[in-house]
Amino acid sequence: MHSIKQTFAHDTWVMPYLRKYKWLLVLVLFLGMMTFLSAAALMFNSGYLISEAARRPGNIIYIYVPVVLARAFGIARPVFRYSERLTSHNWVLRIVSDFRKKLYQAVEVKASAIKQTHQTGDILSILADDIDHIENLYLRTVFPIVVGWLLYLFIIVGVGVFSWPVALLMVLLLGMIVLVIPLLSVAVNGAREFKQKQIQSSSYTHLTDEVMGLTDWVISGRYQDFMTLQKKPIKDIAALRRKDHFFQWWRGFGVQFFFLLAVLTLLIWSGATFTASKGMANWIAAFALTLFPIVEPFLEVSQGASEWPIYRQSIERVNQLSNDQPKLTPQSTLTAPVSEISVNHVTFKYPDDDKVILKDVSLNIKRGEKIALLGPSGTGKSTLLKLLLGDQTPTVGSVTINGTPVSELQQQRAQLFGVLDQQPYLFDTSVMNNIRLGNLKATDEQVKAAVEAVELKPLIESLPDGYDTEVQESGTRFSGGERQRLSLARILLQDAPIIVLDEPTVSLDPITERQLLDTVFKVLHDKTIIWVTHHLAGIDHVDQVRFLEDGVFDMQGTPQALYRDEPRFRKLYELDTGKNERV
Amino acid sequence: MIDRRLFKIPGIAPRIVMIAILTLSQAVMIVIQARALSIAVVQLWNLKPLATIVTPTIVFILSFLCRHLLTVAQNRSFYPFVEKTTGKMREQLMTKLFRLGPSLVEKTGTGNMVTMALEGIDKVQTYLMLIVIKIMDMGITPWVILLYIAFMQWKEAVFLLIIYPVIILFMIILGLAAKSKADRQYAGYQRLSNNFVDTLRGLGTLKQLGLSKRYAGNVYSVSEDYRKETMATLRIAMTSTFALDFFTTLSVAVVAVFLGFDLMDGKIMLLPALTILTLAPDYFLPVRNFANDYHATLNGKNALQAVLDVLETPETKDRDELKQLTWHGDSALKFDDVSLTYGDVDTPTLSHIAFDVHGFQKVGIIGASGSGKSTLINLIGGFLTPDEPGHVSINGQKLPHLSQEVWQHNSIYIPQSPYLFHATLRENVSFYQPNAADATIKAACDKAGLTDWIAELPVGLDTMIGEGSRGVSGGQAQRIALARAFLDDSRKVLLFDEPTAHLDIETEAALKEDMLPLLDNRLVFFATHRLHWINQMDYVLVMDHGRLVEQGTPAQLAQHDGPYTKLRAEMGGLHALD
Repeated sequence: MHSIKQTFAHDTWVMPYLRKYKWLLVLVLFLGMMTFLSAAALMFNSGYLISEAARRPGNIIYIYVPVVLARAFGIARPVFRYSERLTSHNWVLRIVSDFRKKLYQAVEVKASAIKQTHQTGDILSILADDIDHIENLYLRTVFPIVVGWLLYLFIIVGVGVFSWPVALLMVLLLGMIVLVIPLLSVAVNGAREFKQKQIQSSSYTHLTDEVMGLTDWVISGRYQDFMTLQKKPIKDIAALRRKDHFFQWWRGFGVQFFFLLAVLTLLIWSGATFTASKGMANWIAAFALTLFPIVEPFLEVSQGASEWPIYRQSIERVNQLSNDQPKLTPQSTLTAPVSEISVNHVTFKYPDDDKVILKDVSLNIKRGEKIALLGPSGTGKSTLLKLLLGDQTPTVGSVTINGTPVSELQQQRAQLFGVLDQQPYLFDTSVMNNIRLGNLKATDEQVKAAVEAVELKPLIESLPDGYDTEVQESGTRFSGGERQRLSLARILLQDAPIIVLDEPTVSLDPITERQLLDTVFKVLHDKTIIWVTHHLAGIDHVDQVRFLEDGVFDMQGTPQALYRDEPRFRKLYELDTGKNERV
Repeated sequence: MIDRRLFKIPGIAPRIVMIAILTLSQAVMIVIQARALSIAVVQLWNLKPLATIVTPTIVFILSFLCRHLLTVAQNRSFYPFVEKTTGKMREQLMTKLFRLGPSLVEKTGTGNMVTMALEGIDKVQTYLMLIVIKIMDMGITPWVILLYIAFMQWKEAVFLLIIYPVIILFMIILGLAAKSKADRQYAGYQRLSNNFVDTLRGLGTLKQLGLSKRYAGNVYSVSEDYRKETMATLRIAMTSTFALDFFTTLSVAVVAVFLGFDLMDGKIMLLPALTILTLAPDYFLPVRNFANDYHATLNGKNALQAVLDVLETPETKDRDELKQLTWHGDSALKFDDVSLTYGDVDTPTLSHIAFDVHGFQKVGIIGASGSGKSTLINLIGGFLTPDEPGHVSINGQKLPHLSQEVWQHNSIYIPQSPYLFHATLRENVSFYQPNAADATIKAACDKAGLTDWIAELPVGLDTMIGEGSRGVSGGQAQRIALARAFLDDSRKVLLFDEPTAHLDIETEAALKEDMLPLLDNRLVFFATHRLHWINQMDYVLVMDHGRLVEQGTPAQLAQHDGPYTKLRAEMGGLHALD
C-alpha cells in the first residue's frame, strides 16, 4: 500500500489522464460490470425458469418472462463484452497518443544535438516500452480490479437487501478473493520482483557479453567457461519461476476455495429462507447457480494485482523523467547577420562530476572563417560543441554570437546553426521528405538542386522510385558516405550561416572521406565552419587548426604555419599521409 | 497453432498420457459436482429440510475441491518436464551459439539472439504449459459432459453437439476475415508503431534542424492514426471472440428455454434438467479458455519455431582435421583459388584468392571499403567457410576450412572495436589465459602501455569495465586487446581488422609505438586503410571488389604503376602543406 502511495505521490502520468477521460472510463467500467452481471443474471434467471417450469404451471404465460429474459441476457453478455473490449482499447490507445506526445516533449527538452550515443537510443526504447507497460496497466490491472470491486459491491448490496448477516458473511468470503489475496499477490511478487530483476539483469549482461564477445570466446576455446556462465542464472531463474508458478496455481485454488464457501453460503441460506411456499422455493436454484460466472473476473483481480510491481517501475521511470526538467532562460532575437562567435574564458564541468572538462578556453571565430578542432577523445571537443550550440551553459565565462549569449538564442538555433555529425539520422520516409526536413517550405526543385549540389543526383535518379524511394529504417539502404551527403543536402536547404561538423567522416574509408570533405567545403564555402575531426585528412581546407588537450588549447595556427613550425604537427601529418618510414 | 515438432520433444508422450488421465478424472469430477449440487437444490425445492442436503452438499464440496486440485495436479506434474525441456533448449542454444560462432550472430542479429535465449525460451515455456493441457482439456472434457447429458436427455445433447462445430466454423471464418484484413493493414500499422521509436532516435537530428518542438504535434497525430488503424483491426479481430462468446452464451440460454418447455410438458424431471443447465457452461469452457489464450500460444509457437530453426542449423564439420599446430618460423599457410559466397547472394564476395605466407611474415591487406578486406580476415580466422573444401592448406595439409580448433588456438583477433566484457580489467586482460599470474598480467599491461591508466583507476586491475560500467575510450580498448595478446605468448597468429580506423591521429600514433613490438615474431594479417602501417609490413595484399588484384612486398609494388600505387595515391591524396 505504501509503495502504491509513493509511486503516485508526484504522478503526472496516470492520474491526470484518468481525470481527463473520466466519462469514457466510467463507460468502460460500466460495460465491464454489465458483462458479468448479465452472465450472472442468465444463470439466475435460468435457475428460476426451470424450477418454475418443473412445477408444470397450467399456462405457458407463467414462464414467458423468464424465457424472454434468458434470451435477452444470453445476447446481452457477449454484446456488453464486445463493446467493453472495443471501448477500453480505444480509451487506452487515446491515452497512449497523449503519452507519446508527453514523453516526446519531456525527452525533447533535454535532448542534445550532439552525440546521441547508442546508449541513449536504448534508453529511449526502454521509455517507449514503458508506455506499452502503462497501456497494459489499464487493460490488465486497473480495469479488472475495479470491475471486480464493483461486482463485489453489487453482490453485497444485492444479498443485503434480503439479509444483512449473510451479506456480512459475503463481505468476508468474497473480500478474501478481491482484497486479501490480491494484496498478498502484490506483497509476494513485489519481494520476488527485486530478486528476479537482479538475476535477470546479470543473466542479460552475461548473455550480451557472450553474444557480443563471441569471436573472442570461440578463439579462446573456453567452451566450459562459456557454458558455466549461463548455468547459474538459468538455474536461479528456473527456481524463481517455479516458485512463481506454484504460487499462482495455489492462489487459483485459494480463490476457488473461498468461492466455494460463498456458493455454499448462498445455497444454505436460500434453502433456509425460501421455505414459505413452493413458489418461493423456485428462487433456490437461482441463487445457487448465479455466482458461477463471477469466478472468472474474480480470478483476474489477483492476476492483475500481481502484475503491479512490473508497471510500478515504468510509472516511476516516466514520472522521474518529466519531474526533473531544466529551466528555460528568457530568449532574445538576433536581427543582424552573424559577424562573430566568441568563446570568452570558458570553464566547464558537469554538475554531478568533479572533473573540469574545459579550463579557461577562449576562441574567436569571424564570419566565414573555417576552423578545425583536434584532440584525443575525452578532451572536451564534444563539450565545446555543446557549449557553442547552447545545449550546455558554461560554468564560468560566456559563449556569444554578436555579443548575445547563445543560451538566449535557442529559439533561433536552426536559423543560426547547421550540424553534420557522425551518424546523421535518416527518417523512415522518402528521400524527398528526408531532405525537405531542412526547410519544410522548399519546393521539389530546390530539393533536387540540393541533391545535385551534393553530387547524389545520378544515384537517386537511378533508383526505381527516384526521389520517392523509401529510406528504410535508420537509412540502411544507403552507404555511410551517401547518408552523409543526404544530410548535407538537408543542411544546404536549411541555409544557416554557421555549420558545425562533428567528425562526419569517422566511419568512412579514406577515399570516400576525401571526396566527401571536398564536397562539403565546396558547397559550404561561404559559411562559418567549426569542424571537429579525428585526423588530418582535408586539413588544408581550413584557416585555423586548434588542438585541444586536457581542456586547454595547446597548439594553434594555420595548417601551413603549424606544418612549418611544429615538429609534432609535422609528425602527425606525415603519419596520416603514410609518408614516414619510422614512427 | 501446433508445431509438429512439438511431439518430437523427447519424453513428451508419457506426459501427454498422464495429462489425459488427469483431465478425464477432472471431467468426471465436473459431472459429479453438477449432479450433487442439483440434488441438493432439488431437495430444497421440494421443501425438504436442510438436513437432507448434507450428503449431496458434502459430495459437491469434495468434487468441487477435487476438480480444482486436479488443475493444480496437472500443472504440477507437467511443469518439471517443461522446465527441464526448456532448460535443455537454452543449453543447446548456447552450445549452438558457441559452435556456429559469429556468423550465426551476424545472421540473426545480436539483439534477436539475446531476446531469443531469454524471452524466447520463456515464451516457449508458457506455450508448452498451455498447449498440451488446453488441448487435452478441449479433447476430453466436453465429450465426457456431452456423454452424460445424452445419457439423461438426448435432445439437448444433440443440440449441444451440433452447435459445437458451428461455433468453431464461425470462429474460423471470422478469424480468417480478420487475418486477411489485418495482413493488408500490417505494413502501414507496423510503420506507425515504429514511427515513435524512430522519432525518438532521430531527436538529435530534429533538434539540429529546429523541428523538434513542432514535431510533438506530429507525434500525436501519427499516434492517433495508429489508434484508428488499430481499432479497425481490433474490431474485426474481436468479432471472432464475439462470435464464440455469443454462440456459447446464447446456447446456454437456449438450453435453459428448451429445458423449461420440456419440464412443462412433463418430459423431464427437475433434477436432470438442473444438472444439464449446470453442466452447459462447463461444456463450452475449454474452447473458450483456448480462444482466450490464443495470442499467448501464437507467440509461443513462433518463439518455438525460431528456437528450433536455430537448433537445426547445420554446424561446421571437420573442425579437427588439423591435429596439431604450433605456428613457428617454418610454418606455411596457402590459399589456392579460394572463393566465398554468402548464403543469400548470387555473386561471390571473395573470388579466386590465392597467396602463400609463411613464418612470421607481416601481411598488410588494403583496399577501398567493400573490397572484401574484413571478409578475408574472417575467412582466415575461421569464422567463415569457403565455398569449396580443399583450397586452403597449412604446412602442406589440405583443409576444408580454417575453422580448425588448433588453428584458432594459435590466433588472436583484434577488430576495430575490441569487445570488452562486463568484468574486471584483470579478467578482461586475462581472457585467453584465465589462470595467468598477477605479475604476468601486470607485465602485459605494462607492455600495452596501460600502467599509467590503471594507476588512475579506483581499484586498479579490479575495476569493473565494459557495458554499463566504467567507460573506456577507444584507444584504451585497443590497448586492453593488445595486453591480451601480449599475455598469451603462445598464440603466434595475429589478425587485425582496421584496429585504428576510428581513433584520432594522436591516439593512433601513441598506440602504434606500443603495438609494434607485438608484431615481432608473429604471423600478422593487418587489414587497414591507414597507409602508414604499410611501412611496417613486409607483404601486401591489395583487394578490389572481392578479388586479390595485386600482391608483393611494398617495395616491389611501389615500383610499377599498378593498383597499389593507384590506391596509395587516392588514399593519401592530401594536398601538400609545405
